[in-house]
Amino acid sequence: MFYQLLQKIIRTASGRTRFVMAIIGLSIALLLIFSAVQIEINYNELLHGKTNQDSIANFLVINKLLNSKSYGTTTLSNNEIKNLQQQSFIDAVGILTPSRYKSSIQSFSNRFPFFTEISFESVPATFIDVSTKDWQWNEQSNYIPMIAPNMFLDFYNFQFSLSQNLPQLTQEVVKMIVFKVNITTSTGVIIFNGKIVGFSDRITSLLVPQEFMDWANQHYGSTQNTQPSRAVIRTKDPGNPLLVSYLKEHNLTTDADKTRFSKYRQIVNAIVNISWITGAVMLLFALLIFTLFIQLTIASCKDEIQLLVTLGASPKQLKLFLLNQFFPSNIIIVLIALISVAALQYILHGFLLQQNIFVSSYISAYTVLTALLVIAVLWVTNNRTISTYISLHNK
Amino acid sequence: MQFQLKHIVPTPLKDIFSQRQSDIWNKDITFLKEEYIKIKAPSGTGKTTFIHILYKLRHDFEGHVLYDSTNIVEIKKDELAIIRQQKISIIFQDLRLFPNLTAAENIELKRVMQTPIYEKNIIHEMAEKLGIVHILKQKAGLCSYGEQQRIAIIRALVQPFDWLLMDEPFSHLDEQNTHKAAWLISEECAKRKAGFIITDLDEDNHFNYTKKLLL
Repeated sequence: MFYQLLQKIIRTASGRTRFVMAIIGLSIALLLIFSAVQIEINYNELLHGKTNQDSIANFLVINKLLNSKSYGTTTLSNNEIKNLQQQSFIDAVGILTPSRYKSSIQSFSNRFPFFTEISFESVPATFIDVSTKDWQWNEQSNYIPMIAPNMFLDFYNFQFSLSQNLPQLTQEVVKMIVFKVNITTSTGVIIFNGKIVGFSDRITSLLVPQEFMDWANQHYGSTQNTQPSRAVIRTKDPGNPLLVSYLKEHNLTTDADKTRFSKYRQIVNAIVNISWITGAVMLLFALLIFTLFIQLTIASCKDEIQLLVTLGASPKQLKLFLLNQFFPSNIIIVLIALISVAALQYILHGFLLQQNIFVSSYISAYTVLTALLVIAVLWVTNNRTISTYISLHNK
Repeated sequence: MQFQLKHIVPTPLKDIFSQRQSDIWNKDITFLKEEYIKIKAPSGTGKTTFIHILYKLRHDFEGHVLYDSTNIVEIKKDELAIIRQQKISIIFQDLRLFPNLTAAENIELKRVMQTPIYEKNIIHEMAEKLGIVHILKQKAGLCSYGEQQRIAIIRALVQPFDWLLMDEPFSHLDEQNTHKAAWLISEECAKRKAGFIITDLDEDNHFNYTKKLLL
């Protein structure tokens, strides 16, 4: 009741245009800031996330440079692997384990005759960019899941199938085919079922789960030459000159094409920086306009405020009342900006999914945290302005 | 609550007051709880100044004013607000109503500023006693001085208080209305076991004064 009367006495209607301007400015500023945070998070998720089907993260497969000098000695020693792990520009090292037995895969159906000798490789699951629940194997499993490089399918579809008069196959169709996997052992050929469960660009070999690889190598593999010769490394920046020179120095080689990802990152960084600096500057101006608006309202009601205090209204009551007048609109702006960013993120999720790039459909906790931080900043600004100007007119 | 005045002299009027005899200026006096105090003085001798000093509206004076044992210069803004809501009520000579609020809203403001001690119908009851029911819904700025003065009186009476300060509260009222208002004030002071300080130009018998002082 008291606040209803105060509402009649302290009119907040003066300077509506300024108020609308402040609100629009604040909304845009917050939209930019929240977007910047969300883009950064999305980017990091793409860079370091373990669930991406085609992440632009920086994984490099490395092996010894093969030339006449290194011929026959291309395995990586334990020391060399340890040394790799110790480098600051390398985040993680995964050993690629090759199969040490003869194997081939072929189709069951005669309608689609297909046979090839093949060897497998495996790598710890954290280095695989295909997320599927099918990527597991134990001795009871009905089939061996495999991940094939996109390159293999392209090779088949655009070269091999044409020359052999075979049908072209989409990823979905290939995933439905059950292959016969033959493993040649000293006592004969053992047959397994195999299925392609995903495609990847990261490692250019036919991958099987580490569990299967270890089990099969132990049972059927030759015991000679168990030292790995390829490793996959995760690095923040494949264009890092230190990494490049390190590889060169140690006679190692990698896919040079991957260095192009560092260019993408520069672009994303620039966008994030522009977005968030613009947002911050706009927020500053919006806060300024908001402060001026509060100041103006209080100044235009200074006689009324003085009389209210004379009659016994406490500065605390007036402050609470004024905070109630100004602050809720701020919270609503923050919520609207947050909901907008959430909607954009949902759309982005759908859009990128079509291109096999996975970002979360929800906004990150950091974005929500930023919103809370902004609310705190707004509260402090409101509170301080109101306190200052009430005590100014209440001497 | 009681007031203690220790040699207070308003700074702007220091020279004039030092040459005059007064029961208040530059004296050491105490107003005890439940006292009915009349302060009589001709125009321009500082009645309003005195009331404002007691209400802590002015600070341009020498000497000390104490609420109980607390020097009023030490009272903080929020504490002062509580005192004005609970302990000291006031009727200003210049009335000080919000012209854009109705008469009823002006009174209601003071009723609900703190936890109310009266129900809302008290406004109507008191207005009836002072004969201003018909203007309750009118904007205070459009009321006559006499009506405004009665609004100000009722406004001062709907809150809790130990002391009621009145600065020429009947200046715009005729004999009959003054009598009604004085009766209502006595009644409300008695209910609260409160005292009052009233200033006026002349002698009167509106109340049973316990102390009459010359300013």
